[in-house]
Amino acid sequence: MSSASNSSTLRHVLPNGMVALIRRNPGAPTVSVRGELRVGAALEPPELGGLAVFTGAALTRGAGERSFHQIVAETEGLGCSVSAGGGTQASGFSGKALAEDLPLILEILADMLIRPTFPAAEVERLRGQFLTGLRESEQDTGYRASIAARAMLYPPGHPFSRPSSGSLDSVAAITRDDLARFHRRYHPALSSIAVVGDIDPPAVVAELERHFARWQPDAPPEPVSIPDAPHLVGVRRDDIAMPGKVQADLIWAVHGLRRSAPDYYGAMIANMILGQLGMGGRLGEQVREEQGMAYYCYSDFEADLGAGPWVAAAGVSPENIERAAQAILAEIELFRQEGPTDEELDDARDYLTGSLVIGLETSDGIAGSLLGIERHGLGLDYIERYPAIIAAVDRDQVHAAAQKYLSTESYVLSVAGPV
Amino acid sequence: MSTPVIAHTLPNGMLVLLKEAHGAPVATSWIWYRVGSRNEPAGRTGISHWVEHMLFKGTPQIPAGHLDRLVARNGGVFNGFTWIDYTAYYETLPADRIALGLQIEADRMVNALFEAEEVDSERTVIISELEGYANEPETWLDEAVKAAAFTRHPYRHPVIGYKEDLEAMTRDDLYGHYQTFYMPNNAVLVLVGDFDSDAMLRMAEESFGQLPAGPALPQVRAAEPEPQGERRVTVRRPGPAAYVQIGYLAPDCRSPDFAALAVLDSALSGAKSLTFMGGGSQTNRSARLYPALVESGIAASAWSGLTPSRDPYLFELGATASEGVDPAAVEAALIAEVTKIQQDGIAESELARARKQMRAQVAYGSESVTNQAMQLGMWETLDSYRRVDTLLDELAAVSAEDVRRIAQTYLTERRRTVGHFVPDDAA
Repeated sequence: MSSASNSSTLRHVLPNGMVALIRRNPGAPTVSVRGELRVGAALEPPELGGLAVFTGAALTRGAGERSFHQIVAETEGLGCSVSAGGGTQASGFSGKALAEDLPLILEILADMLIRPTFPAAEVERLRGQFLTGLRESEQDTGYRASIAARAMLYPPGHPFSRPSSGSLDSVAAITRDDLARFHRRYHPALSSIAVVGDIDPPAVVAELERHFARWQPDAPPEPVSIPDAPHLVGVRRDDIAMPGKVQADLIWAVHGLRRSAPDYYGAMIANMILGQLGMGGRLGEQVREEQGMAYYCYSDFEADLGAGPWVAAAGVSPENIERAAQAILAEIELFRQEGPTDEELDDARDYLTGSLVIGLETSDGIAGSLLGIERHGLGLDYIERYPAIIAAVDRDQVHAAAQKYLSTESYVLSVAGPV
Repeated sequence: MSTPVIAHTLPNGMLVLLKEAHGAPVATSWIWYRVGSRNEPAGRTGISHWVEHMLFKGTPQIPAGHLDRLVARNGGVFNGFTWIDYTAYYETLPADRIALGLQIEADRMVNALFEAEEVDSERTVIISELEGYANEPETWLDEAVKAAAFTRHPYRHPVIGYKEDLEAMTRDDLYGHYQTFYMPNNAVLVLVGDFDSDAMLRMAEESFGQLPAGPALPQVRAAEPEPQGERRVTVRRPGPAAYVQIGYLAPDCRSPDFAALAVLDSALSGAKSLTFMGGGSQTNRSARLYPALVESGIAASAWSGLTPSRDPYLFELGATASEGVDPAAVEAALIAEVTKIQQDGIAESELARARKQMRAQVAYGSESVTNQAMQLGMWETLDSYRRVDTLLDELAAVSAEDVRRIAQTYLTERRRTVGHFVPDDAA
């Protein structure tokens, strides 16, 4: 149980290990609550794929003394909302309310995390919705290309090799007991909660103590850990034919890096220049602006607890698939060889530091940033230090990251689209 | 924290709306033009959206590709949108950089180049955007419903346009559309953020004051005639699920019945932010459609929606059928909810909930300057920016009896178009 504060953020650790980050933002009479648990699909057995996502979504379906009806009637009656969901590396929960209604939101979120009831009828309804969602995903070209790329990038059994939403078979097999059992992995020592808005921080600490201190699981915490994947050698390709479609989604992918990697900032800026800045960086400039081949072409990576994929993606008409793939590979190779120009580096650094105030404008934005800072142990002064961190990233670091991670010799390519 | 909106019309006819917001050191600059797919003649569908794209393709001062860099270098974000009734552009920047937003918009209001080469390259980008939408069964159904619901009004065609029109459009078509509609007397500039209004207004006058006013704008004469009976469309193609979409021809946003329609929408599926960026909280699960359609197992999701529009548009209902459920059963369940309200009206508790939900949505929207400016601009383009403030009062004045009356008046069999999407692998 300790509290620390930096400028305006109060960090308070509950006796059970839950970390609270509280910040007053009086810009609007509202409050945002966002939280996470480092428990996710990485911990579920593959045959029960979708279990973490299912468990997270089921938390609103009944908790404490409240039924699903009561939860939605009480919250929505006040124009507020609570939600929860699972992902591969973490599960999340959130609430949004007028500031006056924060106590209700915290009470219900605490019940959702500590005392979910998983009513059998609600579990079945949720299952039906998930199955429809999966059927829709299976006919989505972007989703199909993405899971095909992951299946080639990571070996079977690796948490990143499969979608966190599971499959039609695995979701059909999950029982109510599986949900309750998975929920036992939820642990305060693996959780953090950010509360930001027109609030009084000490009063919020008292409310959090009141609602969350009773969270005392028997088992010790077991956090998610993501293994490294074996090196990719050579080119693997998967073409998926989907009847009725008119456009194909194309994904090039390699292994990225963990957020804790020492070259994270170099890689992050490399990604911005390659496929983010402006209308999709160099990739957008070449594939969209110069060649007019696609409405979107960009790159992105998932650098979190594990090293997720680093992808370049485009939506193209079927006759342009090979041309677009060649154009993407050519841009990647050029960037690998030459690295960024000084001008590009200045663009990226100026954007990252300049736009900081925009990302921190809303309470949701601030709460999300605080959770990220906590997850990666960056320290409460991270936002103040950030401009100096970015200013210190030089051309060589960006070039080195591009050379280390990007490849035109060993990569996977997936294409999902018209037959 | 709410400060009043200052409205000032420049001599060239351009309206400037300013609102100070000092919660964060950011500011946003939006420019709105009263042009959208509503203003498009047959054969030129999609022209407004394409013109919007061309405004990112360079002026003599800011060549193609430089605009995005310029905004990024200043730590800003930007975008453009084309909708049925309006086209809008914005830059949100650190407050001390907001002059850049004005500079960009004043420049491209009159100086966009529309170079032939850029026009051709953008043609394939837009067709690619269209083909991305055309991968989705919901798009196929939505386009079929709109095309059936409107027989004369241009709301019948999609904002993105028809592919054959996009293939045939010329540089001169586009440039003509630009010169007709992009002028100060058809524009609204909206500035919200951490600035001093007097200084900001002077900056706006300097940037836009010297631009000449253009001639009077062509009016949209098309008016959708009163429907004389239910219309039905079915789309059969490969797809993951059956979908149902129902549209009732509804009055425009200036109608005295608009607020009651918004309450009706809230009773069916919760209050939402009435703008296209959304950003509120989910409030649909305690409203009528969710228990009737989703909890009953008939549908995986269900929705209703009211779009504020310049001319009569649609009050819509829709649902994704659960596996094995006939779309006819989904349609019947949706219409049953409408019928209940026509017969019994809604409860006082639903009215109270709609008011509180809308108040919360307005508060959530006020967190970001971008969102505030969007609401002001949208309402000014459609009617008056004052609606942002008066809408809550309008909603408070709606009675349960009003809701029953407008449901009986507008949500009738005669005024509705019913669409089914039926998955069919043989198609």
